[in-house]
Amino acid sequence: MSDLKKIVIDGNEVEVDGAMTLIQACEEAGIEIPRFCYHERLSIAGNCRMCLVEVVGGPPKPAASCAMQVKDLRPGPEGQPPVVKTNSPMVKKAREGVMEFLLINHPLDCPICDQGGECDLQDQAMAYGVDFSRYREPKRATEDLDLGPLVSTQMTRCISCTRCVRFTTEVAGIHQMGQTGRGEDAEITSYLNETLDSNLQGNIIDLCPVGALTSKPYAYQARPWELTKTETIDVMDALGSNIRVDTKGREVMRILPRNHDGVNEEWISDKTRFVWDGLRRQRLDKPYVRKNGKLTPVEWPEALSAAAEAMKGKKVAGLIGDLASTEAAFSLKQLIEGQGGTVECRVDGAKLPAGNRSAYVGTATIEDIDSAEMIQLIGTNPRDEAPVLNARIRKAWLRGATVGYVGVPGVDLTYDYVQVGDDRVAVEELSSKTISDATKAKNTLVIVGMGALNEADGEAVLSHAMKLAENTNGKLLVLHTAAARVGAMDVGATTEGGIKAATEGAEVIFNMGADEVEIDAGATVIYMGSHGDRGAHRADIILPSAAYTEESGLFVNTEGRPQLALRAAFPPGQAKENWAVLRALSAELGATQPWDTQAGLRRAMVEAVPHLGAVDVVAENDWQPLALGKLGKASFRPIVADHYLTNPIARASAVMAELSANAKARGSQKVAAE
Amino acid sequence: MRFILSLLTWWHEETLGTRLYTWRKGVKVGEDAQGNEFYRNKDDSKRWVCYAGEPEASRISADWHGWLHRTFDDNPANSPLAHKDWEKPHVDNMTGTALAYVPAGSIRREKPVERSDYEAWQPE
Repeated sequence: MSDLKKIVIDGNEVEVDGAMTLIQACEEAGIEIPRFCYHERLSIAGNCRMCLVEVVGGPPKPAASCAMQVKDLRPGPEGQPPVVKTNSPMVKKAREGVMEFLLINHPLDCPICDQGGECDLQDQAMAYGVDFSRYREPKRATEDLDLGPLVSTQMTRCISCTRCVRFTTEVAGIHQMGQTGRGEDAEITSYLNETLDSNLQGNIIDLCPVGALTSKPYAYQARPWELTKTETIDVMDALGSNIRVDTKGREVMRILPRNHDGVNEEWISDKTRFVWDGLRRQRLDKPYVRKNGKLTPVEWPEALSAAAEAMKGKKVAGLIGDLASTEAAFSLKQLIEGQGGTVECRVDGAKLPAGNRSAYVGTATIEDIDSAEMIQLIGTNPRDEAPVLNARIRKAWLRGATVGYVGVPGVDLTYDYVQVGDDRVAVEELSSKTISDATKAKNTLVIVGMGALNEADGEAVLSHAMKLAENTNGKLLVLHTAAARVGAMDVGATTEGGIKAATEGAEVIFNMGADEVEIDAGATVIYMGSHGDRGAHRADIILPSAAYTEESGLFVNTEGRPQLALRAAFPPGQAKENWAVLRALSAELGATQPWDTQAGLRRAMVEAVPHLGAVDVVAENDWQPLALGKLGKASFRPIVADHYLTNPIARASAVMAELSANAKARGSQKVAAE
Repeated sequence: MRFILSLLTWWHEETLGTRLYTWRKGVKVGEDAQGNEFYRNKDDSKRWVCYAGEPEASRISADWHGWLHRTFDDNPANSPLAHKDWEKPHVDNMTGTALAYVPAGSIRREKPVERSDYEAWQPE
């Protein structure tokens, strides 16, 4: 329904959708309107009044452009398009007045405020502020809130834009924040002084246009202008959120989201945002070799020759962990299969069928959630496995989609769902049900989680899910938990029979960052990774390598979108980038890999797997349904035991440990009756 | 040489003028452990010190400093001040010397504290 309307903004005639607000129409015309409360992805509040514009022929007062639609404007007497002015003296005077009111109660503590340098109020005061105050009365004082270990509050700085309230209720789906009082007494408060119970709460730090809500772990660490910004990809979950990593020297100081409509919109989860302190702890910074039962630090040549010695002529199995880049997986596969060994990336035992991309990735994109009318979740708790994706499902639910759920009963997904069942029987019922034509006409999405696929009958569950998607004319999305999984599946780093077949009888296990795997005694373990976690303790030879912010790499997210992560910092100590370690080891083994740079490795990989070359494009997958398998009996179990402690980086992070402890305490605490 | 220096400079010992004045008007009051001599004139309107060695104000202990600056009338040689057993002996200002205080993290220490922007993993 295109309902295009002509409108004249500052003398330029533009044609825009009538349903657009004036602020959007101005954006279309290339004019930026100052705003505090308006945000594209939140509901419209219209309470900051900063976006005032003049509507010629309209009411004699300025109009809030965020709350007025283009179609509400009256045309001129001869049907001329309505005229809007954004830089007239009236507009300037109105905005200066608004700014003066906002500054009445705003403290002058910019020099000690963490928002300094990236503060909307600071920036706009440069344009519309006055250099004196006519206010002689005492300033408003408010008590600071305790919102938990992530968000620090300075509520005297609050300008009551209510973005945080709107975000937490609309996107995050929690009830703790609200506004009480009127006029000067209006205050943003938390309900019964509760702390925020959401794993998306960090986003209110970005949303806050002033310094009222700032990051607690990052408090007073750096100023925005002294940070080096690198745009990269997150690996904390399989969503592949677009992030910006801010570094000072070698250290990652903070992580912020980037906008990508197809993936994370502009939100990221708290794990993504606050995991950076894990990048500083428990780092592997030198190679180790076990001598007389003790891990002893050695130099690189010794470690590499020891590793080559151990691998030569033995049955080698390579394991690819959850955080490895696709290049690393490809390189390891080339190295190990060249030695006659096998590699495996499905380290959690997921029964993903190799080679069938429509089954291990699915056919849906994340953007399809927006238009879905029926969403069926099978064996997944998206709130734990991919919080930002869960917010997207919530958005679809708010728009009217029905969400069905097969899995652990009683989980809080922040939206209402129909509990279809909790076991395989429910899945079989769904896939064998005859679907009415009316339902078939609807956009249906089946989302299968790893909790449904990591047990013995995983492939059978997947086949039933595919059948359900087929029956409903819908699409399938396999929600992975590991950022590396799809990329490693794409390059074919799998062994017939899964992890059991790969490790059984292996004399040497080359473990590339797979810390969640139990490795039986007996095999010699070569561990390559960034953090000293379970894998390093079990290892006989440790080759230190880069973490995800320290090397460039492709990551394929859960919908099959290859995204390029860039290097933001350097690996610590003697640690080297993954590809370089593998290349050096291959030379030591006498099977030198045919590339000398990472670009060379990437070229070789794209040659082998062409769709990885199309960065940020979701490849179409041919529908290859699996033969219906026989389902087991048991109920589905959650795959993520602790959302905050799923990988070695998160386990090294003190903030994540605190969040995990808080979440546990919250779970066991009885909520007082109201 | 020493005579010329005492004529032209004040930073090797007291100047010739001070020595003459001390000889004419000075009444010796006492001497401290370092050998610095303390003088006053007849009506006690002036009090001064002649250093034994380098003229360095921080060499004067708190006791004699108090007398010089008229914190108390009687000099410490006559009526010594009570000292507690926890008081440390007087030390002059070491700034600019090898004995100067250097904080733990300073790179001027012989062995500066090891610092790293990450914590390395230690086996066991």
